[in-house]
Amino acid sequence: MSAAIEARGLSKRYAKGREAALSEVSLSIPPGAVYGLIGRNGAGKTTFIRICATQLLPSAGDLRVLGFDVRGEERKIRERIACVPQESRPLYFLNVWELVYLYLKMRGLDAVESRRRTTNVLDELGLSEVKGTLVNRLSGGMRRRAMVAMVLASDAEILFLDEPTTGLDPIARREVWGAIRRASREKRTVLLTTHYLDEAEALSARLALLEKGRLLLEGPPSELRGRVRLPYRVTVQGSFLPSELERFGQVSDVEGGHLVFAQEGAARELAMLALSRGAKVSMGPVSLEDIFMEVVGRSIEDDAPAAEAT
Amino acid sequence: MSDSRHRLRSLLAITYLNGVVPIRTQPLYLVNILASPLSFLFFIVIASHGVFLPEAVGGGMILMMLSMGTSVQTDMTHYRQDLKFQDVMVASPIEAPIYVAGLALSELVYALPGLFVFLLIWIAEGWANPQSALVLTGVLLLSWAFASALGFTLATYFEDVRETFVFSPLISLALSVLPPVYYPITALPAMWRPLAYLSPTTYAADLIHGAMGLGAPPLLAAGIDWLVLIAFTVALVVLAAYKARWREP
Ligand SMILES: Nc1ncnc2c1ncn2[C@@H]1O[C@H](COP(=O)(O)OP(=O)(O)OP(=O)(O)O)[C@@H](O)[C@H]1O
Ligand SMILES: [Mg+2]
Repeated sequence: MSAAIEARGLSKRYAKGREAALSEVSLSIPPGAVYGLIGRNGAGKTTFIRICATQLLPSAGDLRVLGFDVRGEERKIRERIACVPQESRPLYFLNVWELVYLYLKMRGLDAVESRRRTTNVLDELGLSEVKGTLVNRLSGGMRRRAMVAMVLASDAEILFLDEPTTGLDPIARREVWGAIRRASREKRTVLLTTHYLDEAEALSARLALLEKGRLLLEGPPSELRGRVRLPYRVTVQGSFLPSELERFGQVSDVEGGHLVFAQEGAARELAMLALSRGAKVSMGPVSLEDIFMEVVGRSIEDDAPAAEAT
Repeated sequence: MSDSRHRLRSLLAITYLNGVVPIRTQPLYLVNILASPLSFLFFIVIASHGVFLPEAVGGGMILMMLSMGTSVQTDMTHYRQDLKFQDVMVASPIEAPIYVAGLALSELVYALPGLFVFLLIWIAEGWANPQSALVLTGVLLLSWAFASALGFTLATYFEDVRETFVFSPLISLALSVLPPVYYPITALPAMWRPLAYLSPTTYAADLIHGAMGLGAPPLLAAGIDWLVLIAFTVALVVLAAYKARWREP
């Protein structure tokens, strides 16, 4: 089987007359890797995940998960997936151990296997010390981690994680990254959303950028740079007039200097010029955040006249 | 074979999770379901100077089954809306009927103390015999099933737990106060009686009252009562199967 998830013209409208939460999204998620969904608030990330996880019906288009149709073959899909929904919270009367263990039992695993998996995942995510603590007494980040532990411990082939690391401290985040990477080493597919672009870049084999329900950009993080107009960023400090810089690319002011997005040749030229004047300069490929700002920014500009006309 | 073993495991895990674990943090759950049938019992028995005791005991047990359905409804709405727990369940091998059955069974745990009290009265009053025990068991099981199915269906529509606080009293009015559950139907003004036949609990109560051989003579032949009660249960289960929003549209 080729793709873990295959979307063709997938659309969702929550109610008649409302704007589409997803429109005509087509993408293919390869198996055994981490796939990142990014985009602004309301872009449609959760909607996409919920349709894939068979929690929400699509309005139009096709969606196959592990080769099965979400309309009609959802039982076959459900046997093979697990999900941490955005803003989900554990049942408050359980302790951390029970949360994971009972989830595995509910999924049909036997007691020995459930116990083994629970112990392992709690160790891996640094939750062993609080395993007897009621989830209600945990901090918000710990609670989130417990939810992630629950699905990581499962035998699911695809894990849907909607903002798994929101509210986690930097160390806890990296523990969760480690667990997600292990899942993908085990040839499981992970579809995750995040607002931390460093995280999206560090974890994902491929990324999709959604904006207003449309797919703006898709591909491996390293290739996304090739899709933007100005793939280099140059920061110069010192005596430059903005007007002087504008011929190189797109200029913005930053703390103590200017940031210029430019094409490769122009970026080099600017760097040489700055060096010849003895100014401080740094140059490099754009970050994922730069790409995000550019692509989403452009999309907002494109929409603006249309929005005014209506 | 192994499929049914998985389902059983799943069912028991849900029952344990929702029916046993919460008692640790709040032991009063155990008397919650008992509270309203018992207050009804007091009220009816005192108001009727003891004449309606048999009806009130039979009715009390039916009401407990209805309360279990209400609890399924409240728990599920809360889990779905506030905790997104239904989404966790949907995206897993756990099937909707197992989830509901597990929750419904867990409510039985809370109902046990109440059932025990009613059964004690039942036995002490000398109404217990093999035939009445059989009727009682059957009627209570059916009531439990239709109440849970109804609770489940409604819970998948509510936007907020507060909505359940609005609907639950209305449902209990329609199913346990207006229909002659606590009193013989003859105590109902004649113009109200046709309405009573719209509620499945009328037939459930008729069967139980009949089996006790006390109170007013049963209105309908037991066969008809059974037929209607089973039809209601099947209808509500089918409604749950087709209309409950396990997956959001
Ligand atoms: N249950 C719902 N009913 C109606 N509209 C909804 C519903 N859920 C989401 N929407 C709308 O669909 C659009 C996409 O929402 P979605 O939750 O998918 O965004 P998101 O990318 O996950 O955003 P965030 O980063 O804030 O989580 C939004 O305009 C939102 O208002
Ligand atoms: Mg979201």
